[in-house]
Amino acid sequence: MATPGICDSANLNGGQKLAVKYFIVAITLFGAQVLFGMLAGLQYLYPDFLYGVLDFSVNRMVHINALVVWMLYGFLGSVYWLLEEESQHEVVGLKLGNLIFWVLTAAVTVVVLVYLFVQIGPGKESSIWLINEGREYIEAPRWADIGIVVSVLVVFFNVAATFSKGRYTGIAGVLVLDMLALFGIYLAGMFYTTNISIDQYWWWWVIHLWVEATWEVMVACIMAYGLMKVLGVRRKIVETWLYIEVALMFGSGILGLGHHYFWIGTPEYWFSIGGFFSALEPIPLVAMVVHAVFDAGARHAKNSNHPTMAWLIAHAFGNFFGAGVWGFMHTLPQINLYTHGTQWSASHGHLAFFGAYATIIIAMFYLAVQKWRGDVWMSGELPGNGWKWKWSLGLLNLGMVGMTMSMLVSGYVQSQIERAIEGSSWIGYFAAQGHPWFVQGMWWRELFGVMFTLGFVLLVWDLMTIGRGEKRVLVPAALDE
Amino acid sequence: MIEPASLSDFFTIFFASAMVILLGALYALLFAYARIRTVRWLMPLAYLSYAGLFVSTLVLAQAANLLSHPLWATVVGCMLLGYLLAPHGIWHLCVGTHARAETVPAKSS
Repeated sequence: MATPGICDSANLNGGQKLAVKYFIVAITLFGAQVLFGMLAGLQYLYPDFLYGVLDFSVNRMVHINALVVWMLYGFLGSVYWLLEEESQHEVVGLKLGNLIFWVLTAAVTVVVLVYLFVQIGPGKESSIWLINEGREYIEAPRWADIGIVVSVLVVFFNVAATFSKGRYTGIAGVLVLDMLALFGIYLAGMFYTTNISIDQYWWWWVIHLWVEATWEVMVACIMAYGLMKVLGVRRKIVETWLYIEVALMFGSGILGLGHHYFWIGTPEYWFSIGGFFSALEPIPLVAMVVHAVFDAGARHAKNSNHPTMAWLIAHAFGNFFGAGVWGFMHTLPQINLYTHGTQWSASHGHLAFFGAYATIIIAMFYLAVQKWRGDVWMSGELPGNGWKWKWSLGLLNLGMVGMTMSMLVSGYVQSQIERAIEGSSWIGYFAAQGHPWFVQGMWWRELFGVMFTLGFVLLVWDLMTIGRGEKRVLVPAALDE
Repeated sequence: MIEPASLSDFFTIFFASAMVILLGALYALLFAYARIRTVRWLMPLAYLSYAGLFVSTLVLAQAANLLSHPLWATVVGCMLLGYLLAPHGIWHLCVGTHARAETVPAKSS
């Protein structure tokens, strides 16, 4: 074991060394997401800002693509992080995994540069292959799509082969199947049809099912691992609950897909399917409250890593409010008719993605830093009373809640004026965009975005410094209350 | 199949929907806390929360025109039943899954 308090790769196993690389790219892309989001937000307030240099459409695209990719990197990193510990076997094909990491990162860099330097041009077959596929949120050109699929397949190979040679746990079983689905579902967004309804039908398979199926399951696996590491919860309990939660999520989440099919030209029965399952989607979240209270009561929330624990709690609340409350408020077709695609959706999307995914990946960052520095003490009595992680937690969460509320106000105006009164016409669109409440909402969004950005800067600073020079090491038997 | 909500009901729908989820969570929280800490007087508050959820669901159903169609009326019924029974079901699962591994908190009432 190397000296505690110093980032030393000797503290990590092979999979974790690779995981750290994924985490570093993830947080870099997180920064890009914040930067381009702030620029896009400014363009709502000053539409001429950077016009012709960095158009809103490009800013927004990079903002959202960076989100998708940094979270994917965060998840893949988390999988590599737990792989050797979970399987009790060295990662099979680690060299290939490392190679694919560099190939994927190079590809992401090229794709972003092309987005930025080739902003306009003819829409030809070659554009789809080389520049931009034109599908919202997954605009990456087809060569990059193929690269993503190959990369995920390699990760799948690493995961499946390692577990098959080592210990095959309950988490392993769920994770292996999930990696297969992660690769398989992405294929649905890779073929082109001339019928926009059919095209959108398959496109939603990637957008909804990645997010509300494969990502949720991956989060459940990471959470299971995190609870064992941080709280010392016994494997048998964690794995049983992993199965229960996956069953509950799939029970309502897969056909909850129907709420995206309301207005794209699909048959009417999707109203029933989407409405029914969307109405039931929050029930598992509410039911989980019982489990959380039960567990907290059973073990008094003793933990070995305060920042990780705080971010796991933020995850539970964020998921509940972002996905549950904000989702259900506008999910039934009777009201979704007016809110779909307005700032309402953006409000829900921001809180749900942050609450359900960003939080748990940040929790993994802290878990990784702790081990990277030699399993140092990260509970109570940190230098400066741990002000950096506490302030970054506060600023990021308050910034996100503020942005969400601001967009809610704007979305409310938009759904009333643009949709309900003016019937989704161009006149209605501009009337809503110019309405004082809409504009004020956009201003508040930008201001809370600044708060969020400060929180991000502090987070990076904290991750680079927390545990530095710490001589106390983690003693599992002396978990801090 | 669907009768869109009227403009005047927008706020009612958003508010009632949010209350459904929040009161659902409060019901689950109080229910679980009452049982794990054996605090009997919390249980009536839990069911009071559920009563609030019940009213919110009916307000939502009225404002979103859900009761005028059998399918949507069924959705309302499923919601009411689901939110009522889910905490009970999860509690039994908690007791069952934790029982073999560690000491299970006493169950009251």
